[in-house]
Amino acid sequence: MTIMSRHVARLLLAPTWMVALAVMIKGYADTGDGFSAGIIASLGVLLQYLVVGTRETTQLLPVRYAREAAQFGLLIALLVTFIPVLWGDPILTHYPRPGESVTHLGTLELLTAVLFDVGVFLLVLGVATGVIDLIARSRERRPT
Amino acid sequence: MLTDHWNATLVLLVTALAAAPLTALAGFWRRTLATPVAIVTTAAAFAAALWGWAEGGPTLDAPWAPAWNLRLTFELDGLAALYSLLATGIGLAVVIYASRYIPLHLAHSERDQGDIVRFYGFLLLFMGAMVGLVMAQDLFLIFLFWDLTAISSYFLIGYDSEREDARASALMAFLITGISAVCFLIGALLLYSEYGTFALPDLMARTESSRLVTTAVALISAAALAKSAQAPLHFWLPRAMAAPTPVSAYLHSAAMVAAGVFLLGRVHPLLEKSDVVMNALVVIGFASMATGGCLALTRKVLKQLLAYSTISQYGYVVVMLGIGGADGAAAASFYVIAHALMKCALFLTAGAVTEATGQKALTGLGGLWRRMPLLAVGSGAAAAGLAALPLTAGFFKDELFFKAADHEGNPIRLLAVAGAALTFAYSWRFWGGIFAGPLQTEPKPLSIRLTAPVAVLGALVLLGGVWPHPFARLAEDAATVTAGTPVHIEVAYHLDSRVENVMAIAAIAVGLVLIFSRPLWQPALVAISTTTVRFGPERLYWAVLLGLNRLSDRMHRIEIHDLRGRVATILLPAGLLVGAGVAVTPGGGTFRIGSLSNGDLPEVLMLTVAALAAITAALARDHLSLALVLSGVGFSLAVVYALLGSPDVALVAVLIETIFALLFVGMLALLPREGDEAIAVITRDREQRLQADNRGRDAVLSAIAGGLAFIVAWGILSKPAPLESVITSHIRLAPVAHGKDIVTVILADFRGLDTMGEITVIGIAFLGIATYLRRWRTR
Repeated sequence: MTIMSRHVARLLLAPTWMVALAVMIKGYADTGDGFSAGIIASLGVLLQYLVVGTRETTQLLPVRYAREAAQFGLLIALLVTFIPVLWGDPILTHYPRPGESVTHLGTLELLTAVLFDVGVFLLVLGVATGVIDLIARSRERRPT
Repeated sequence: MLTDHWNATLVLLVTALAAAPLTALAGFWRRTLATPVAIVTTAAAFAAALWGWAEGGPTLDAPWAPAWNLRLTFELDGLAALYSLLATGIGLAVVIYASRYIPLHLAHSERDQGDIVRFYGFLLLFMGAMVGLVMAQDLFLIFLFWDLTAISSYFLIGYDSEREDARASALMAFLITGISAVCFLIGALLLYSEYGTFALPDLMARTESSRLVTTAVALISAAALAKSAQAPLHFWLPRAMAAPTPVSAYLHSAAMVAAGVFLLGRVHPLLEKSDVVMNALVVIGFASMATGGCLALTRKVLKQLLAYSTISQYGYVVVMLGIGGADGAAAASFYVIAHALMKCALFLTAGAVTEATGQKALTGLGGLWRRMPLLAVGSGAAAAGLAALPLTAGFFKDELFFKAADHEGNPIRLLAVAGAALTFAYSWRFWGGIFAGPLQTEPKPLSIRLTAPVAVLGALVLLGGVWPHPFARLAEDAATVTAGTPVHIEVAYHLDSRVENVMAIAAIAVGLVLIFSRPLWQPALVAISTTTVRFGPERLYWAVLLGLNRLSDRMHRIEIHDLRGRVATILLPAGLLVGAGVAVTPGGGTFRIGSLSNGDLPEVLMLTVAALAAITAALARDHLSLALVLSGVGFSLAVVYALLGSPDVALVAVLIETIFALLFVGMLALLPREGDEAIAVITRDREQRLQADNRGRDAVLSAIAGGLAFIVAWGILSKPAPLESVITSHIRLAPVAHGKDIVTVILADFRGLDTMGEITVIGIAFLGIATYLRRWRTR
């Protein structure tokens, strides 16, 4: 790859994640959700693997925590799903309940549904980057 | 000072359940701490149980998951006091014994001494589960702790996991008790469906004799009988002897096997509503007494002999519970206490003797009483108790048994005496075979921690023979719960010719005859036992297990054999089912060809591109172009979504297609290339496949599946859109759920449970990919 493409790839990483974050946060108010955000963020990582190479990417980014991110995301989603049972509500009851007022931080609404979406985001991000990393490493080990 | 909240029930529950985590944490921190912490926590639990028995524990009731009608209900009643005293008291003896035995055991098999932490952890988890089980007053809670005992027993029986027989035995015990536990759950759910509660006191008050109640209690009893290793599901117990000796001692006297008869005692008022179940209990109990007793007389390996004896002993208890009433409940409760002390002592003796001499079977043993007097006396007391000699607690266990059997007519009386005679004979066979006669193997000296527990248990057996009142009171309290009416137990020696005494003397006489006439019946009995073991239910177990394994292998082979076949097995039934649906749907004027306007041109264009790409995919010769063409289909469809005014779906589609195409291409690089070993296999496969050319078949299958899918899509698109559908209500409700983007609200809220399931699947798929790629890499 040329010097140019390496630089462009690196420069693109931050904007990609910015977009992912925006899609994530605006998810409840506008197009997009945790799933799309997770895919966008991992596409940014994938670009690094393609252009910069596996070794440098793994030094640059904490991809070795992909599995933990996936587990943590699943844990968040599970907690949001089952904790309402402790209060005697049906599973996956979201708070604030319909009719109650919601706190806003800009376009971000503080809802447990959004937290659930964050869990989905982390899981998708973890799984996608984890799979990318596994494939990249498997390729490197192959005798060519 | 203990407040109202800290009553005996809670204290016992917390100390017993905390023992395992505390010990495990201490052991992981400093290995040497594991033993003292295990002993202290077990002793604390035992002290709590003793205090709780003296104090009486009130009902503890807390909501758990009210939406599912689940409550945490515990009560330290008489029955719970009995079994929790056994679980913690015997547990203490076993832990002290194991603190010496397990390090030796690990040294013999050259394992890391740190493994002892795992042992304590699971043993104490078992103890905690037993204590929770016996105090639970709710069928669902009982099921939970019941399965917890099964899980800990699996790890304890398979403790020597490097040995194959240990693993197979652990699996067998787990499958038999675990599958039967499902019967228990079904029984509990049947009762719940009829009476709307899992709470035992409510169920006992409200159930009446009916076919449903009979079915439910029969299922519950089946689980209990499997756990207590009653015929015909007894075979797992002798196998479970693969466990280290302290585990066997605990399983047999106070935990696993005892849990079965405990459950029968706990739900006894329900059982009494079904005569069929009660009679079945008597029959199964006697069958187990006979099977266990006869087989025990043929076994030479010490622990095997004791295992069959346990089957027979719990057969007694099941008979007594089947007889029921105040006498039956009293006899069963007393029997469980006496048996636990004796059987634990005998198992610990077997372990100590094996440790000292290296001999596991009776053939290499004899004459040890001179060398190990303390062990000989302690286990002598226990064996005498098992044989029901006077001046031991065991005498009263048979006294109460005979008293209960006396009301039931002559056949039961005769069978009771025969069972007691068998017990007498194999008790002597065990003790006499080790300690009497000429010396066979010179023993090594033993640690006091291996002999003292036996001596203490033996002393308790003797104490119960001269001062039985504490035991009788404990049994009385337990029997009151089991029988559902106040029970009074009176135990004393009567020097007269009442029927219990006559039966006891008869049993001892027959037992002596059995011992002295041994050469006469021995060969015949061995032949019978070999036949029953070879053609018995165990054979069925193995046949079923192997059959299921083979079936699974065959299914798997069909699945992975050939990709085309696999796709065909999905497409063909799906196509045919859809076609059947179309055929039976009344379709007057369904298939319409609409009209096109100029405004539709972009959609038509994109759909044409998608169609062309799909056709090209069928013609592609190499993988890379196939991958690219397929993602071309996806992208064209994404554009169609965007044109039709659903940007959320279009966004997701574009993202999916992008990452999918890139990963697909990445995976292609992992395919075998020229010169790889795998490529030879693939080439050979391809040649074989070309010989049996399936192209015709593939074309027909694709035509059927594709054609029917086309017809369905056409039919659906021809229908006018319904005015009110699910999606309209979703759109209406999205603002109520504080959301504006409908897709997100559907994913996270309306259909959140689906999303939960899907992301779990993604997580599991990730594990699969990681396992597969890592393994492939290390090759």
